[in-house]
Amino acid sequence: MLTRISGGEIVDPPNGRVGPGDLWIKDENIIEAPADGRADRTIDASGCVVMAGAIDIHSHIGGGNVNTARLLLPEQHAAHLRRPDGTPLSNAGWSTVETGRRYATMGFTTVIEPAMPPNAALHTHLELADIPIIDKGTLAILGNDDFLLSMIRDKASPDMIDDYVAWTVGSTRALGVKVINAGAAAAFKENVRTFSLDDVVPSYGVSSRRIVKTLQGAVERLGIPHPLHVHCNNLGVPGAADTAARTIAAAEGIPLHLAHLQFYGYGTEGKRKFSSAAASLAELVNASREVTIDVGQVMFGQTVTISADVMRQFAARGSAHPRKSVIHEADGNGGGIVPFRYRQDYYGALQWAVGLELFLLIEDPWRVFFTTDHPNGAPFTAYPKLFELLMSRDARNEAASLLPHSAMALSTLSTIGREYTFEEIAIMTRAAPAKLLGLEDRGHLGAGAIADVAVYRRDADIAKMLGRAALVFKNGDQVVTDGEVTHYRWGKALRLDPPKNPAMIRRLEEFYQQRYGLSLDWLAFPDSAIARDEPFGEVPCRA
Amino acid sequence: MSVAWIGDRETPFEQAAEKAAALLHASRCPLFTIDADTDGTRAAIGLAKLVGAAYDHPGGASLARETTLFTDQGGMFVTPGEARRRADVLVVVGALPDIHLSFLAELFTSPPDLPAVGQRRVFVIGNVSLPPGTDGLVEMLSCGGEAATLAALRAQCAGRKVATPVQNFDRFAEALAAARFPVFLFSGRASESPAIEMLQGLVSDLNRKSRAAALFLPASESGWGSTLASTWLTGFPMRTGFARGFPEYDPWRFDAARMIADGEADLHLHVSTWPDTAPANNDGIDFVALQHTDGPVAGAQVTIAVGEAGIDHDAVLYSSRTGTFAFKRAPAASSSPPAAAVLRAIAERVPGGAPDLC
Repeated sequence: MLTRISGGEIVDPPNGRVGPGDLWIKDENIIEAPADGRADRTIDASGCVVMAGAIDIHSHIGGGNVNTARLLLPEQHAAHLRRPDGTPLSNAGWSTVETGRRYATMGFTTVIEPAMPPNAALHTHLELADIPIIDKGTLAILGNDDFLLSMIRDKASPDMIDDYVAWTVGSTRALGVKVINAGAAAAFKENVRTFSLDDVVPSYGVSSRRIVKTLQGAVERLGIPHPLHVHCNNLGVPGAADTAARTIAAAEGIPLHLAHLQFYGYGTEGKRKFSSAAASLAELVNASREVTIDVGQVMFGQTVTISADVMRQFAARGSAHPRKSVIHEADGNGGGIVPFRYRQDYYGALQWAVGLELFLLIEDPWRVFFTTDHPNGAPFTAYPKLFELLMSRDARNEAASLLPHSAMALSTLSTIGREYTFEEIAIMTRAAPAKLLGLEDRGHLGAGAIADVAVYRRDADIAKMLGRAALVFKNGDQVVTDGEVTHYRWGKALRLDPPKNPAMIRRLEEFYQQRYGLSLDWLAFPDSAIARDEPFGEVPCRA
Repeated sequence: MSVAWIGDRETPFEQAAEKAAALLHASRCPLFTIDADTDGTRAAIGLAKLVGAAYDHPGGASLARETTLFTDQGGMFVTPGEARRRADVLVVVGALPDIHLSFLAELFTSPPDLPAVGQRRVFVIGNVSLPPGTDGLVEMLSCGGEAATLAALRAQCAGRKVATPVQNFDRFAEALAAARFPVFLFSGRASESPAIEMLQGLVSDLNRKSRAAALFLPASESGWGSTLASTWLTGFPMRTGFARGFPEYDPWRFDAARMIADGEADLHLHVSTWPDTAPANNDGIDFVALQHTDGPVAGAQVTIAVGEAGIDHDAVLYSSRTGTFAFKRAPAASSSPPAAAVLRAIAERVPGGAPDLC
């Protein structure tokens, strides 16, 4: 099948295409225009913006913690059924099926679940496999597990560390590695309640910084395309900007990705000792070429926080709304589920402003990524509104005018005139995520790319335009028409498969037998366990 | 080998599937009870959506108590592996299902991986079945029923006076003072909701100054696995229905036992991928049994034999030993079809039906 999308405004910065033109799709891929110019079907896209399918690099869409949040909050889903416009969390689409549907209708075609506990990899992949239409990927969590901390304490060689990281990534079918409040979950087991970058994990004598640097080095040496994905210490704490700054400094020239930086953008000024430090953080990011960040924007309303930062979530239990939560401890990180409502009060307004400041003050759209840390800052269904805030100063000012002046006074937001262009949006939500994750086959509209294409009908209402794509193609299949899913298909989970050292497997077998009384076989599973055709797609490591 | 029956008469599989689909199509209030592996649960929920059925687990009452803890309150939990590694004090709250006895024995007899800690201290609350040979290892905490004992224990731990002190409280307090990670084991099989809630209150209190957690050992592994799969597929746990075309969760309305007893359901489809007997009381309603069986199930209009998950075919099952899903490879190939395949074959035959995403 040869399809021609005709007359749209192509926005494909990586290939230097910005302007009216045609896009050609043959079966699953984008191709150069054929010499004879004949298509099996031609779609008129005049009046539309044509971009590659969007990629979300950090969205909690599947796995044990996400499912526990669903279990904890059945009323949110029920609320959605009765009042679809009034309850943002519910609009997230609480089931796997709804997750795929709602992402697709916004033109997103690849989404990364950023927190997979290695010992529960099968559960995560079962859920990801039940999300239709889009491709997925997931990051394996390391950095609080006894095996790694013991190796660091015992001064294991870099080769041994690499073997362990490679085994974890390969056996869990991950696309990268994430470290979450490095060492804090292990310290929490010893009744430690706060933990910072240079604090030391009891019983191991290993600092958080050393864990981060160890994993950063392993990821780099193994050629894992995505830099180590870091959830820093002290999330949400006033003054956390200092922790984030020290973590940025610790990158030391080697690629490092900092997740949901908004949650660290807090200073201690003002009578409430809670102010925006976004401007100084943005300046640091601008000056640190090896560092990328995603924002984790806060939007107002009910949501639920889902995190494997068990120490932080334990501390947040008192703020649960409604008043129920789940904290669980596991062999590595564990996690916590705490429902929360972001109010338009001083604190909520400041968090909202910090996120937008980061988006607007970090100059390079290749190094700042579009996330709400779904659902922690807001459900991903808030994306259309967030696009509007980034692309329209008037929309920002109007929203800010409804918020407490005391909060806005401690933020630079009102002084920022920048408005994102479609080119910058295409970079931030397509080309840059593909580059960051090592997905060369997507994020652009060049010949040979997978035909993941989003077509948006131009509208003065940006949220409306980007919230309901006119057309979406996934691997060449037309899956969305006029903002509605018209065809369901199953995507793949994208994974790396670095070589495994048999000696490490023997060592791990011994470890699991000794510590947990379990064979390593309990954690292993074949692809067929997912019970879908071709559930995985392999992404190569860098040479 | 015959794998299907209409009434007591052996019949080709296709014919039985057609009959089951016709019965489902004609039903105004179909009810499913699901006791299956993960893919079987997926397929059963897909079929339920197609025909507008409600579904529950055959052991729905225990599962509902366990689910209610999560939907109404939450709590602080630990995985079995971490409990085995770090628990230095164990408290078994209420009777646990026999499937957990071997793990209990392992916990009782293995030392924690903590410096300067030898054997674990073990306490029990309520009428607890213990692994053989471990009676001498445990100390009883009691001042009445489970909920009353837990309430008194919670009060005494907080330094409050109680009318009836807990027997052996001093020994428990001494163990707790020295403990680094006490773990409380429970399931929903025997423990009533107030006891489960009180237990979480106690665990939460202890965590104000030290560390503690609860280890959830479900009454039914397959039931909990199906609950988790239902939750990600629909947003809701078991006791969900599709009568209005979208999922609705109502633990009272979609209680399978109640729906049958009150005459609400006019068809009962029972899926079990293990050797099992179907719920007995299906009087007056159509009954379809998809079951691991050698012959027709009594009272069923249609019986289709399905393979045993993990024995006749590979399967993904919830494991309470790991606290997550595990893959179980079948030891040998079998001609018995997986429940998922049978359910999808029925779905394809429902008049006007289309294969659902599940």
